[in-house]
Amino acid sequence: MATNILSIGQSALAAAQAGLNTTGHNIANASTPGYSRQVVIQGTANAQNFGFGFMGQGTEISTIQRVYSDFLGVQVQSAQASSSGLGNYYTQIQQINNMLADPAAGISPALQNFFSGVQDVASNPTSMPSRQAALSAAQTLASSLNSMAGRLDEISQGVNSQVQSSISAINTYAQQIAQLNDSIGKAQRATGQPPNDLLDKRDQVVLDLSKEIKATVVKQGDGSYNVFIGNGQSLVVGTATSTLVPVASPTNPGQIDVAYKASNGNVIPLGSSSLVGGNLGGLVDFRTKSLAPAQNALGRVAIGLASNFNAQHQAGFDLNGVAGGAFFTVPSPVVGANSGNAGTAVMGASISNANALTTSDYTLRYDGTNYTLTRLSDNAVTTFATFPQTVDGVDLNLTSGAAVAGDSFLIRPTVNGASGFGVAITDPAKFAAAGQTGAVGDNSNALLLAKLQTTNTLGNGTTTIQGAYSQLVSEVGNKTRELGVTSSAADNLLSEATNSQQSRSGVNLDEEATNLLRYQQAYQAAGKVMSIASQLFDVLLSIGR
Amino acid sequence: MMRISTQVLFESGAASMGELQTSLLKTQQQIAAGRRILTPADDPVASARALEVTQSQSVNTQYGLNRQSATAALTQVEGALSGVTSLMQDVKIAVVAAGNSTLSDTERGYLATELKGRLDELLGLANTRDAQGNYMFSGYQSNTQAFVQTATGATYQGDSGIQLLQVDASRQMAVGNSGQSVFQGGGQDMFKTLTDLINLFQTPGAPVPATLAALSGNVDLALTNVLTVRASVGSRLQELDALNTTGSDRDLQYTQTLSSLQDLDYTKAITQLSQKQLTLEAAQQSFVKVSQLSLFNFL
Repeated sequence: MATNILSIGQSALAAAQAGLNTTGHNIANASTPGYSRQVVIQGTANAQNFGFGFMGQGTEISTIQRVYSDFLGVQVQSAQASSSGLGNYYTQIQQINNMLADPAAGISPALQNFFSGVQDVASNPTSMPSRQAALSAAQTLASSLNSMAGRLDEISQGVNSQVQSSISAINTYAQQIAQLNDSIGKAQRATGQPPNDLLDKRDQVVLDLSKEIKATVVKQGDGSYNVFIGNGQSLVVGTATSTLVPVASPTNPGQIDVAYKASNGNVIPLGSSSLVGGNLGGLVDFRTKSLAPAQNALGRVAIGLASNFNAQHQAGFDLNGVAGGAFFTVPSPVVGANSGNAGTAVMGASISNANALTTSDYTLRYDGTNYTLTRLSDNAVTTFATFPQTVDGVDLNLTSGAAVAGDSFLIRPTVNGASGFGVAITDPAKFAAAGQTGAVGDNSNALLLAKLQTTNTLGNGTTTIQGAYSQLVSEVGNKTRELGVTSSAADNLLSEATNSQQSRSGVNLDEEATNLLRYQQAYQAAGKVMSIASQLFDVLLSIGR
Repeated sequence: MMRISTQVLFESGAASMGELQTSLLKTQQQIAAGRRILTPADDPVASARALEVTQSQSVNTQYGLNRQSATAALTQVEGALSGVTSLMQDVKIAVVAAGNSTLSDTERGYLATELKGRLDELLGLANTRDAQGNYMFSGYQSNTQAFVQTATGATYQGDSGIQLLQVDASRQMAVGNSGQSVFQGGGQDMFKTLTDLINLFQTPGAPVPATLAALSGNVDLALTNVLTVRASVGSRLQELDALNTTGSDRDLQYTQTLSSLQDLDYTKAITQLSQKQLTLEAAQQSFVKVSQLSLFNFL
């Protein structure tokens, strides 16, 4: 009987000790990221029938359980993916927003100074200092446009390198998840008990992965995680992983795209629509929805100014009575033939009407009979079978060779507009201020040139050059503002999801202090039971003495 | 009852203080810059509008500068023409004097000498140059001398071009007059009239009254022509004055528009600053109090 009491006391002591251990573990990991509090699941030991009834045999610990909800976990992961995606888009676009922030340093003052210079030439057509001042103002405008284009290019290089680091982070996480799948499976099979800390670690890696890209986790019957991204591309299946690889864009070699390398070694490019959420999704969104349009819009301002000014300038005569030449250099459209094209076609594109230009890029596809030109901003489609064609102010021509079905081209009419913008004349006498030859005091062409500042030329005659620039500022400002709101909403959603998860799984130190007291008392009581059992044993021994 | 994890307690405290600090910094930056809009995202519509208003203001300022040039040019023209007027009035006096039949050939010779001087003076006025050395009455041929004297008067070497300046959004103003229209317009030729008069006075014997009367009529026509041109110059100068007034009104309006678009309401901003400061301090103090509450303090 006394041995029985001793073993009951011992089971209580062991249970209290496990409780204290677990409480200590909880306290120690109160601020470990991804840690879920653990609880001791305790039950009565099998009772023994003594004939007069079942007598309890003390306690036993069935398992140590982590308090974790798969449902809340998935919510946090999905909120994390959209919060990181929007947050990163917001961070990226702020670079452009800040670049446009200072009204004294942007394109506007340079544009205004340039036209003031032209007006000054109109007032003093024979004055060399006035002509020189107008040329210098044109140079300043050119370097403002060049430097803004350079900054946008830097930002795009930055996006490239961030895409690469995001890809390598995703691959690392995929490997970690596969390894953890393996370790968890082994531990579970060997003991039949859940390896809580490993499970936490795996969920934390999935959460880290969600920071880079939106991932879908499918829990398997054996407890392992299969992870999918994009349109169902598998990243982790059991202990096997696939990888993402950075590849140069087939139509725009300066841009790093994301491709999926399947387990059979096939490399499949992933479009922006399949890269959603997380830092990577945010980067791709930023690049396609804000950065490229901003580069194009700035390019359109430059090309619009250069083309209109040149046309008027060439209608006039310079101080020597010679017909005016090009005042600005007008950059050409960029055509990128897909590196996978099977045909030999070389496409040419040139600007025939700067005032009809949009800020969009275009893709040209050949299906064997027809060419399909898609304007990427609104997916408007133009279909034709022969060249030349003029769409939105751009002349398209088949320069040489022939296309075969499946060939594609990326046409970017204004992307280099601001970086290639320059002043073509250096001699102030070459400024064509006169409307007729041999009339040095004639300022009529200068007056017409000056009028271009306030004439609605661009966008098919709907906006001035300054207006087109203001549109860019307003578009970037609006998008930044919108992202500020949506990303903070996504942050709130994430913190709500995290809070509900933490409210279930997180460690509360007051609670642990209570547990500490409880298990301490249980330990003391168990000790007392054992000491009484020992005293009882002593009584028995003293009888035999 | 909702469980609060200790980590959330600290994290949400840090997050809310972080937000307050960001907002406080924003207000501080606005105050330091004196601008309500720090980046286009703060108010995209106003940012874009401000750029357009800035251009309008800059263009308006440029029209003001153009008006200054126009005023300077027209004032110079007016100066030359006022010289021409008094010169022709002197000629008229000489012509009237020559009508006196008691004058001797010698005395008419004196008049001829005086008129020779007047002709030189008139040529000088017709070939006036501006500060940059441009001939004011040569039309577009501003580096070519306007008039060259001949035996019968003078020939015009300029053209009929008239320089225009953009003096307002929808007004281009002529800032000169072709020499031909001033000196040889209105049915007369000042140089020929003067040369004819000189020749007449140098001819011995009293002038035929009809010839003298015809020449005197030409002098009158010359005076009428130059006065007509002066009236037109004067009215242009007046118009420039009026445009200057509306121009500076408009400048004021643009400044006010820009100010209402961009500028900071300091009173409001400073009130906000102290309000946010107070909130942040309260958040800090309450966080310290709440985070100190722990059962472990009593164990």
